[in-house]
Amino acid sequence: MSTISLHDTHHDDHGHGHHHETFLTKYVFSQDHKMIAKQFLITGIIMAVIAMILSILFRLQLAWPDKTFPLLETFLGKWAEGGRIKPDFFLALVTIHGTIMVFFVLTAGLSGTFSNLLIPLQLGARDMASPFMNMLSYWFFLVACIIMMASFFTQTGPASGGWTIYPPLSAVPKAMPGSQIGMTLWLISMVIFVASSLMGSLNYVATILNMRTKGMDLWKMPLTIWAIFLTAVLGILSFPVLVAGVVLLIFDRSFGTSFYLSDLVFGTEILPNEGGSPILWQHLFWFLGHPEVYIVIMPALGISSEIISVNSRKPIFGYHAMVYSLIGITVLSFIVWGHHMFVTGMNPLLGGVFMITTLIIAVPSAVKTFNYLATLWRGNIRFTPAMLFAIGLVSFFISGGLTGIFLGNASLDINLHDTYFVVAHFHLVMGSAAIFGMLAGVYHWFPKMFGRMMNPKLAYLHFWLTFICAYLVFFPLHFLGLDGVPRRYYAFTEFEFMNKWLTVNVFVTWAAIVAGLAQIAFLFNFFYSIFRGKKATQNPWGANTLEWTTPVERLHGNWPGEIPTVYRWPYDYSKPGAAEDFIPQTVPFSETMSSNLPHDFEGNEEAERIQKEWEAANKPVQE
Amino acid sequence: MVSTIQQQEEITIGFKSKKFLVWLFVVSSTIMFGGWTSYYLVFMASKGKGHGLVLPQYFTYSTIVLIASSVFLFLAARSLKQGNRSRQRQFLWITFILGVAFGVLQYLGWDSLVQTRANLVNNNAAISMIYVVSGFHLLHIVGGLGFIINSIAGSYKQVSQEVAEFKQDIASIFWHFIDILWIYLYVFLLLNS
Repeated sequence: MSTISLHDTHHDDHGHGHHHETFLTKYVFSQDHKMIAKQFLITGIIMAVIAMILSILFRLQLAWPDKTFPLLETFLGKWAEGGRIKPDFFLALVTIHGTIMVFFVLTAGLSGTFSNLLIPLQLGARDMASPFMNMLSYWFFLVACIIMMASFFTQTGPASGGWTIYPPLSAVPKAMPGSQIGMTLWLISMVIFVASSLMGSLNYVATILNMRTKGMDLWKMPLTIWAIFLTAVLGILSFPVLVAGVVLLIFDRSFGTSFYLSDLVFGTEILPNEGGSPILWQHLFWFLGHPEVYIVIMPALGISSEIISVNSRKPIFGYHAMVYSLIGITVLSFIVWGHHMFVTGMNPLLGGVFMITTLIIAVPSAVKTFNYLATLWRGNIRFTPAMLFAIGLVSFFISGGLTGIFLGNASLDINLHDTYFVVAHFHLVMGSAAIFGMLAGVYHWFPKMFGRMMNPKLAYLHFWLTFICAYLVFFPLHFLGLDGVPRRYYAFTEFEFMNKWLTVNVFVTWAAIVAGLAQIAFLFNFFYSIFRGKKATQNPWGANTLEWTTPVERLHGNWPGEIPTVYRWPYDYSKPGAAEDFIPQTVPFSETMSSNLPHDFEGNEEAERIQKEWEAANKPVQE
Repeated sequence: MVSTIQQQEEITIGFKSKKFLVWLFVVSSTIMFGGWTSYYLVFMASKGKGHGLVLPQYFTYSTIVLIASSVFLFLAARSLKQGNRSRQRQFLWITFILGVAFGVLQYLGWDSLVQTRANLVNNNAAISMIYVVSGFHLLHIVGGLGFIINSIAGSYKQVSQEVAEFKQDIASIFWHFIDILWIYLYVFLLLNS
């Protein structure tokens, strides 16, 4: 075996090697995929905490619309004069909460972290196709986050037209305070974010298709990589359309064109814009927007496939079906955007088409759900924290997915559109499910990232509180929606029919506060374990994939010496006849003669012959 | 020894995947323009009107110039394959100059549009769209000129044949793409007036 060390990072002071690292190149402007993954993760966690605090703020307003909280004024100043959150600021809170969660946490934080960490490690590559672009991708992301946050420090406040920034609210600066500088910053931030996301996605796809190690053909890739790959493809195909839409919006706002604007009267003043159509924005936006929700959920689905298989000590049920259903979701996601627009006066025939394509998505989703459950079925389950979160994902995916069938149906959606039913639906199916997938991934790959283990007791506390509270928060919202309570309304006391839901809002807010407090268990566990956690072994979960063949100390280039060769698929768990309950991908079939099965050889007659000879010589005793 | 072979392998894998990156960028950029042209089509279908202009002659000239530049870039790539670096350099410079000329002609085209009062700020969004697509296409041209300069610089620095071909290749992929993209946009605007 070759022992040369290509990328040795252990020469600290004698900087003669070409990989001499300073604090700046190692931790800040790092081009190492593992460090970039950590940067994405920690930035994502910080953004998630900010978004969570924003949500608690607007939940306070929803639960106690008439109460004053002097403390709020201390922190928020004029946004909460007299201790009550102002209506404009309430809208800004909702908007920025959505923006941060969808784009910064569940797109960049989730995809950015696990694509960067797992693509080279699970495929056997030294790094990404373009490490430099990878670094730029992170820094663009960080700049986008900072610009978005900067809008809280402007006179007129952050964007407040909702995370979908429909014109004319977003296109006419004087429409409301949030449409002024806040909206401009939102657009700048989003353009930078899309650039970041595209650089990342291009890199992921190029790496997956070109830099797999010897033996790693596409059908030997772990499902995490399949999911990440298809997510990146989705990003490449859909984000450019958002850019196209945003560019036109910027022209409307700043140069006076009329792409989305027409027939607007502001007070007594008639605006000069003429001839555009706000519906066209919705088309362009949702052509990205719908794939975007799969960009959010698919990496989480891939992560939980891996974790459920490892911790059930069973091969994933229906590996090929899992891949084909991911492909199915990817393709279908491009032809369903119209289901967000059933109430825009769309031709009912067209609405019918979008309804059918939308409902068809239930098929691959159900296949995946079935396969998760079938993998768990009679497995030798280890309830590690990661496993609990992965199962939690399956739970949310089912309970949130079912309401998707309601909303995909035009005749029901016309009633439920823009009500709390929609809020409940997507917070379960893509919000909670994706967050749980992300947390599962963090608990599972923490030892790989930091070389230490997280504390399982705190993790269990974190899981149960979060799981129960997430249901307590989002489940009751379905009933508000069925009663016709609209989203984004500031004060439930203003409307007679909404008064009866005030007590439910109080309950939901308390559940949200408890869920928020539960995250302290995670945050403490995460940051404490980075420095003080129990030292991890090389393969703490007994997993098959390649990342666990790298040394615990993380080095640039991942493997000292040669990159290992792959011989088998990643899910050989509890294979009958094998000595242990897992066989890593790097173990050749010649070392596992007692457990080989005919289909392992994929029609290689020579190998089958050798296997038969071996069996003839060794097996008869058992008969 | 082993490590140099490995490094060599990794360099070629790197080239392959970086070239692939350029292709992927081409795809996503196509989709962005696809977004604008589909806006245009839906706009036309719902309002019953397009830009309704006779496009300036300059756009025809610029199209011819851009096609010519692509031909010279092809010749440059062929010269490099034949090992004739100085010929390659000449052709690359011609491509570069034609690229700049294209930019000037586009500017003149916009100028003549403005003179017929078909401004960017317009109550007919289809006319505004002409500026948006040609403007963003011109941004791509600027990027393409960067790739060509990169290839020229490589040629002057006498980089190895492999590296030179890599630089030439990415310049070619990108430049031919923006050439075809412009033809698509121009024909699209001609057909949907």
